[in-house]
Amino acid sequence: MITGMERLAAAINGQASDRIPVFCNMSDQGSRELGMSIEEYFSRGEYVAEAQLKMREKYGYDNLWSLFYVGKEAELLGCRKILFAKDGPPNVQDFVIKTYDDIHKLVVPENIAGHPAFQEELQCLRILKGEAGGKYPICAYVTASMTLPALLMGMEKWLELLLIGPVAVRDELLAKCSDFFRKEILAYREAGADILIYANAFGSTDFVPMRIFREVSVPWMEKDLNPGGTQGVVYYCGMARLTATIEEVFEKTGIGTYYLSPLDNIEQGKKIIAGRALCGGVINDIKLIDWSRDEIRNEVRRIIEAGMTGGRFLFGTGVMPYAIPEENIRTMLEAAYEFGRCKSQ
Amino acid sequence: MDPLQSIMKAYNEALFDTDRDGALKVVHEAVAAGVTPEDIVFKVVLPAMESMIKSISEDFDANLAQHFMTAQIATEVTEEMIPKFRAVPSVAGRVVIGTAQGDMHSLGKRIVIGCLKARMIEVTDLGVNVSPERFVDEAVACNAGVIAISAMMVHTARGENGCLRVRQLLKERGLDTRIKIVVGGAPYHFAHDLYKVVQADAWAEDGVTAGRVIEDLIRRVR
Repeated sequence: MITGMERLAAAINGQASDRIPVFCNMSDQGSRELGMSIEEYFSRGEYVAEAQLKMREKYGYDNLWSLFYVGKEAELLGCRKILFAKDGPPNVQDFVIKTYDDIHKLVVPENIAGHPAFQEELQCLRILKGEAGGKYPICAYVTASMTLPALLMGMEKWLELLLIGPVAVRDELLAKCSDFFRKEILAYREAGADILIYANAFGSTDFVPMRIFREVSVPWMEKDLNPGGTQGVVYYCGMARLTATIEEVFEKTGIGTYYLSPLDNIEQGKKIIAGRALCGGVINDIKLIDWSRDEIRNEVRRIIEAGMTGGRFLFGTGVMPYAIPEENIRTMLEAAYEFGRCKSQ
Repeated sequence: MDPLQSIMKAYNEALFDTDRDGALKVVHEAVAAGVTPEDIVFKVVLPAMESMIKSISEDFDANLAQHFMTAQIATEVTEEMIPKFRAVPSVAGRVVIGTAQGDMHSLGKRIVIGCLKARMIEVTDLGVNVSPERFVDEAVACNAGVIAISAMMVHTARGENGCLRVRQLLKERGLDTRIKIVVGGAPYHFAHDLYKVVQADAWAEDGVTAGRVIEDLIRRVR
């Protein structure tokens, strides 16, 4: 039986497999799988690992997630208050940075793997690696230095600092965030993560103009990634469009996978990538909550037909809201397996 | 070119380049040259917002930074100019705004508030993580014609403590013809009909456009 890892390797190398890789970002749904609240679910690495393995087995997609929730990174940098919901992802409730003075005081932990707030993720990774290592790619989520400040001080205050604040303070914060990034990605790699989702909303011209992208975002991406390399790194702009920046990101960093926004034009993305990297075509899974069976199948078919020609393509999901009915998840995945079949097999 | 037109052009260019200092320089030079504070707000700042809304509707890729800067500069200029008006401007309407319960994202709200101020709309900012009851109570207390609810996550947009509950409370209190609801935020951007699912009266694609959408709603409840 072909594994998810083999499908991914085939896609990366531009070879045919039985079908294209299908990545599904199931996170909060794990709590439902184990019959517990979202807060309880995210309290233990064992729970997250167990649910990830169960859901992958149940639905048959190709990846596993070690991600708990995005605010975990803020916890590693001192956040003590997370707002849990019963039907959605946890939110950072108390920002670590409230004043510019807090930026001066911000301390990046030397040893991420030894940090108490990282232990449950490590436990999750250990279990995933033991149970499915080498068979199914294990994904970790790492926020870029340009975007991490939004988790530490809120998007509003970060945009204010970035656009009209003192440049020295901005760069002090970015330097600390980049230092954190490099340590965090190393910790994930050492713990066995195969795929590193490089989450960078500020790497999209939906967020910043091209001038700021070139003058600020790109140099900080280089500082984030160049020391450790881009093995397994996926460029993802948090559902924002990225086709306008692919060329520059590829040239400056050499990232090998581009996970498009549902709002990106897939044909255009593939054309820019021109076979040099893997391209992820992503479904608008916020609409998946209300779509009919036919609408889901048509959309999956459209995405795959747009991206599969020429190979080096995978089908993926975005934020996968908790409210998506299980039947719609199945319909989407079955359609992806059906339309994503490689014809040469 | 009409001097006011060249001021508008220079101001617009600064906005699109997210150049706050440049935009403020244009304004201050115009005032020094004798342009009235009223004309600065109503013939430079507001048309610049309308121009951005038009560009967005024509598929120009305006980005979040430009929206933020448009609102930021509009706020700064309006607050500086209003005390210099010959007469106190009349209030065009009242709005309460906040993020839905469980949602801590404040950026969209800030952009909307900046754009509303330049439209002479009085805004009461309820902050983040606002309960449905508080939205309605404050709207009544402020005599607001519109409740604006920002939500950045699917569960806070669609959940039982978001817009749906606000609508229910308005109905229960017999207020739903007098107070309109507008929603905005990422989930609506990805699902344009979602505002109907959550029973809002309208939605806005972005914070700058929200200013005009809210202005239109206020006219409907007058």
